[in-house]
Amino acid sequence: MEMILNTMRMVDHDQAREHSLGDEKSLEEHLPIGILNPKDFKKLNLTRSLHLTVSNKNGQIIVGIKEDEGVPQGTILMPVSIWANQLTSFEKNEIIYKNITVNVEASRDPITSFNQIINSIKSN
Amino acid sequence: MELYKFLPKTNCKKCGKPTCMAFALDLLQGKVKIDDCPPLLEPKYKKQYDTLKELLGAEEGQKKELKIDVDDDLCDGCGICVTVCPVNARYCPPTLSGKAPDYPPEKHQLFQVKGGKCELLNLEYCRRLEAQGRERECRVCETYCPRKAIKIDYV
Amino acid sequence: MKRIPCTGCSLLCDDIIVRSDGLFIDEVIGACLKGKERFDQLSSSNRILSPMIKKNGVLEKCSWEDALEKTSEIIKSSSKPLLYGFSNVSCEAQLKGIELAKVVDGFIDSNSSICQGKVLNIAKNTGITLTTITEIINKADLIVLWGANAAESIPRLLNKILFSRGKFRMTGREIRTLIIIDPVKVASFNVMGVRDIALQIQPNKDLELIRVLKEECCVADSISSEGVAGLDRDDLKRLILNLSEAENGVIFIGQGVLRPQSESNLVGELLELVQMINTKQEKGRISLIMMGGHFNMAGFDHVALSTCGKNGGLQFDKHQLIDTDDNIVSKIDNEDFGCSIIVGTDPISHLPLSLSQKLATKPIIVVDNKKSATTSIADIVLPSAITGIEVPGTAYRLDQVPIELKTILNPPSNIPSDEELLTKIIDKINKS
Ligand code: SF4
Ligand code: SF4
Ligand code: SF4
Ligand code: SF4
Repeated sequence: MEMILNTMRMVDHDQAREHSLGDEKSLEEHLPIGILNPKDFKKLNLTRSLHLTVSNKNGQIIVGIKEDEGVPQGTILMPVSIWANQLTSFEKNEIIYKNITVNVEASRDPITSFNQIINSIKSN
Repeated sequence: MELYKFLPKTNCKKCGKPTCMAFALDLLQGKVKIDDCPPLLEPKYKKQYDTLKELLGAEEGQKKELKIDVDDDLCDGCGICVTVCPVNARYCPPTLSGKAPDYPPEKHQLFQVKGGKCELLNLEYCRRLEAQGRERECRVCETYCPRKAIKIDYV
Repeated sequence: MKRIPCTGCSLLCDDIIVRSDGLFIDEVIGACLKGKERFDQLSSSNRILSPMIKKNGVLEKCSWEDALEKTSEIIKSSSKPLLYGFSNVSCEAQLKGIELAKVVDGFIDSNSSICQGKVLNIAKNTGITLTTITEIINKADLIVLWGANAAESIPRLLNKILFSRGKFRMTGREIRTLIIIDPVKVASFNVMGVRDIALQIQPNKDLELIRVLKEECCVADSISSEGVAGLDRDDLKRLILNLSEAENGVIFIGQGVLRPQSESNLVGELLELVQMINTKQEKGRISLIMMGGHFNMAGFDHVALSTCGKNGGLQFDKHQLIDTDDNIVSKIDNEDFGCSIIVGTDPISHLPLSLSQKLATKPIIVVDNKKSATTSIADIVLPSAITGIEVPGTAYRLDQVPIELKTILNPPSNIPSDEELLTKIIDKINKS
């Protein structure tokens, strides 16, 4: 399903917090999540045990799911992190953090790991 | 004020209170029992009587105690409850960032933020126990907590 | 009891009480979760306590001698060093950073240029009315959060601007109207009172709203009855009324408003709207505050302006400042750099993947006090002391007010401050 991705940063995903708690495990717990409206959750035939594949022309990642009434339908929120960075892009001199068109699907695969992404950056 | 909805709302004063609203308030705080409202015992209010019984739970008749619960998982220590509680506000010295409660806490102070989480110091001076009239219905801390971490309860 | 400023975010709350036994921090009182975690970094398992050099693909501990030697080697052998970060260090360290860029003919930029620095650049043409937090506490009667989720990003901001009792008005919350314009129903919506206006705008419709406001700013009764951008007509009328009658209004601009220029000039139009209102206003005014995240994000622009007369990216050639429109994004995109020196930030965590990959193709030197995604791909990691806890300094608050940071504890014996470390690198390069 096509949706709009907005990145954001909340207390739970703040960098200071990431770093004081700090290991890759806690990053993997807090950051790879997509927050959806419960109606979209239903539309995508999701259950709590499933994950989400979020992709666009820039890349693809698999993240966990959270529901929130406050998110408007058709929008998916993700915290700014190496995970969301797979989907963001830039234009001229500016990075685009909001209103990114993405394709969202349910998935059974495990969440993309920290090392996987770091390796993809390194090997390039 | 859920309780009020189920009273006869006739303000007949048979309970000794001036209005049904006043009765509801006292009911909430456990000062009176449902049976103290004579009209409510009439058959036509049977349904409401039962709902009220249910609402007030099994401990009906026992004195209820005020409890303010701060959920540590939700709270992010923003300190709004500290600043906004009218009791705390009475004892606020001015600081660079506006008037804020003192440290070490004044003995009337109800909340303080310690280690990034809100801490309830004492309940004694909460308006729900101390004040009279409308002030007694204070719910300011619960209303304004942005993370909905505060719950006021009677148990 | 001494009160000290917190360096957890750009609000730099200066009323934090820390109890310490001289070695560890026992208790932090008054700071929010984010601030408390900043203090926790002191003894976190993630702290870097020794310089490291990458050998055979893994980082290994080494002596300061070797690390500095290797650092200067890398910088000297590459033609165009790129210096980036500087939003989590003191102004003194930023000054040294600019000096280093000058010595090595590099390009230096801070996180600000992909965040609030964008507003400053646009404001060069339109002008901007700023205000300070103290002014807001004492006088403000209208607070607008536009695309800014204050309750989550700067936790104590709402407490200060909305609930604190100021000096000249006896009350706090009671006299203030809060308006939130945001597509997502964020946590800040929870503090709404009866007079406040919650505007859950349709995503990406901000521009439409600003255009309508600009038109309606003069005549408040010609809004089409179906409303604008998913907002109710009555709410819009109240918004206009509030904006045009506030005595001391403040608009907080968050990341939500900082759309790319190529898409639309949202910030520019917003600045124009504010000016229109201010010109029409008789008794009051509307001011703006930019919500940066890192504690000294505003600082770099001030330091750059006062030393070089220019904010944003600074390019040096033959030890002279030269004119450039480049910023960190275009530099990396054009691969116009030979190595990068990252100070106190984590670009791998906030740059798009394609930029991260380009950054990783050249040697990376990281100066930081904790492990991050960037240190995991770095070639050299140089640890530094934590500003505001272990070393003092100056930082600019989000309202552009300088705050003096204090120390509570001494840094670990062999860990220098960012400023000292950069000085050492400069000396090393000058000597060899
Ligand atoms: S006796 Fe019952 S109906 Fe009459 S005033 Fe009291 S609560 Fe209301
Ligand atoms: S207002 Fe709520 S979130 Fe803020 S400190 Fe109090 S309990 Fe915590
Ligand atoms: S109910 Fe009112 S008086 Fe009691 S703690 Fe909350 S704000 Fe303070
Ligand atoms: S709001 Fe920012 S400066 Fe204030 S205590 Fe929290 S993290 Fe520290």
